[in-house]
Amino acid sequence: MRRLLFTLISGIVLGVVSWNYLSLPVSRDWSASEIALIKSLSLSQLPALTPSPSNRVADDPRAIALGHRLFFDTRLSASGTVSCASCHQPAHMFTDGLPLAVGAGVGSRNTPSLVGISHSPWFYWDGRKDSQWSQALAPIEAGIEQDFTRVELTHFLASDPVYAPLYTELFGDLPSLSELPPAASPAGDATEKAAWERMDPQLQQAASRVFSNVGKALAAYQRQIQPAAARFDAYADSLSATQGSTPSSVLNGSEIAGLRLFIGKGQCVSCHNGPLFTNHEFHNTGILPVAGELPSMGRYDGIRTARQDPFNCLGQFSDASASQCTELRFARDSNDLVGAHKTPTLRNVTLTAPYMHSGGMPTLREVLEHYNEAPVSMLSHNEAKPLGLRSVELRQLEAFLQTLTAPLNTDPALLQPPNR
Amino acid sequence: MSKFPCPLRCLLCLSFSLSLSTAVWAAALETPVLTGTTPEGIRIQVFSELNPLAINQIHSWHIRVLNADGTRLQPELSISGGMPEHNHGLPTAPQITGTLDNGDYLLEGMRFHMPGHWQLRFDLSVDDTEQTAVIDFTL
Repeated sequence: MRRLLFTLISGIVLGVVSWNYLSLPVSRDWSASEIALIKSLSLSQLPALTPSPSNRVADDPRAIALGHRLFFDTRLSASGTVSCASCHQPAHMFTDGLPLAVGAGVGSRNTPSLVGISHSPWFYWDGRKDSQWSQALAPIEAGIEQDFTRVELTHFLASDPVYAPLYTELFGDLPSLSELPPAASPAGDATEKAAWERMDPQLQQAASRVFSNVGKALAAYQRQIQPAAARFDAYADSLSATQGSTPSSVLNGSEIAGLRLFIGKGQCVSCHNGPLFTNHEFHNTGILPVAGELPSMGRYDGIRTARQDPFNCLGQFSDASASQCTELRFARDSNDLVGAHKTPTLRNVTLTAPYMHSGGMPTLREVLEHYNEAPVSMLSHNEAKPLGLRSVELRQLEAFLQTLTAPLNTDPALLQPPNR
Repeated sequence: MSKFPCPLRCLLCLSFSLSLSTAVWAAALETPVLTGTTPEGIRIQVFSELNPLAINQIHSWHIRVLNADGTRLQPELSISGGMPEHNHGLPTAPQITGTLDNGDYLLEGMRFHMPGHWQLRFDLSVDDTEQTAVIDFTL
């Protein structure tokens, strides 16, 4: 009797372990619709970077060079120690390897990668900026980031023998400095705000104009940061449109099984789609907020902030006509955007840990387990549903994600600080 | 530097953009990307600036409403849609922003953000009666 019980229990344990950890034979053939979906994810299908009508210097080589300097320059900060590159580090695919960004203080969001992000119509995890140039402005004045002011920035550019001619060649004369206070900003501390309020409106506008132009040069530089083809792309491009058998030399069995889960049972492709593995949209997937903080309202607040932003596509500092601001004009703002955050790219995802907007997941395995479980959201509802994937399937998905890693398709000189 | 002065360059750019846009629409207007019919027989034809339809690109549509005998109608029209299997709507809030010379409606701000089955609902108000055409398609 005891032996029978032992055999039964052992059998059950062995069965459960095998079910979770042993891979089942997976077909290596794809249907025509699966092939079309896989090919749609290839980097070879990435459209050319669309023009940025609100930024007339977006693709000007002089602006790229100026933006390159500004991006790495720590003098654009109150302490003289923080630049854009402090958090967006080229060696980490333009992230920082930290749960939360650290500038002048500790931020409340994980630093997103900049790779390929210029293809997105929205910026920040909550989409509160509608252009890359407008996004580039906020960290410069944020107290926990560079903690600078637009008036200090104007003084700095005008007094610097390298920057002043580069700026004026692109954007025209800098405003007269004699009437500007040393530091002032509508987004600064109480002293800086008071100084801003005392400024003549025309001077305010002149300083904001310089500020916006700096953002436009920074965006021109960041538009150069693009992904290169990875092993997955070689695989996708090698598939014939009609023949579904897969060449085994490009991806191994586990990676192909992971791809099958990615476009099928795992439902990852619902949001992580297109050649950048993101739909550039906003979804509530039940991510926990930063420890000790209330959950973020996400895109629900983000779109409202974007509409009020003086540096948006419809604002006076934009180079676009109103008809070109389609994303802003036709943006949705409904209640289902409460707690929704932007879908990040999965290109080079193995190099951009930790994950999610709150930076709370140190490994991809934890991310995959989160989606497998699809827990109840603290705010509004989790759009994702439990997947019921076995442990071995999570491992296969992780193996597939490894195939999206590749060096950047960017001039190597732009990945280093420029020579002063 | 350029042999054209700045205003002329701008003008050339503008005329090039306009002719490009015209060319895009001329091709798009040859074949509707979507068609539907209300139970009462009113036909909807959608001509898309983005043809074939694809995900993740914002674009405009020309929408034609035709009576069963082929005559053009201009009813009150509203459009909604989404993915029934995912229980969500469109990622943007597209709007009819004008009527073209030929009577077609101009709809701006359309974008799809997921591959799969989409469903669009065209609500029409014709002679004080409400009619609906539902169009299903897969991206």
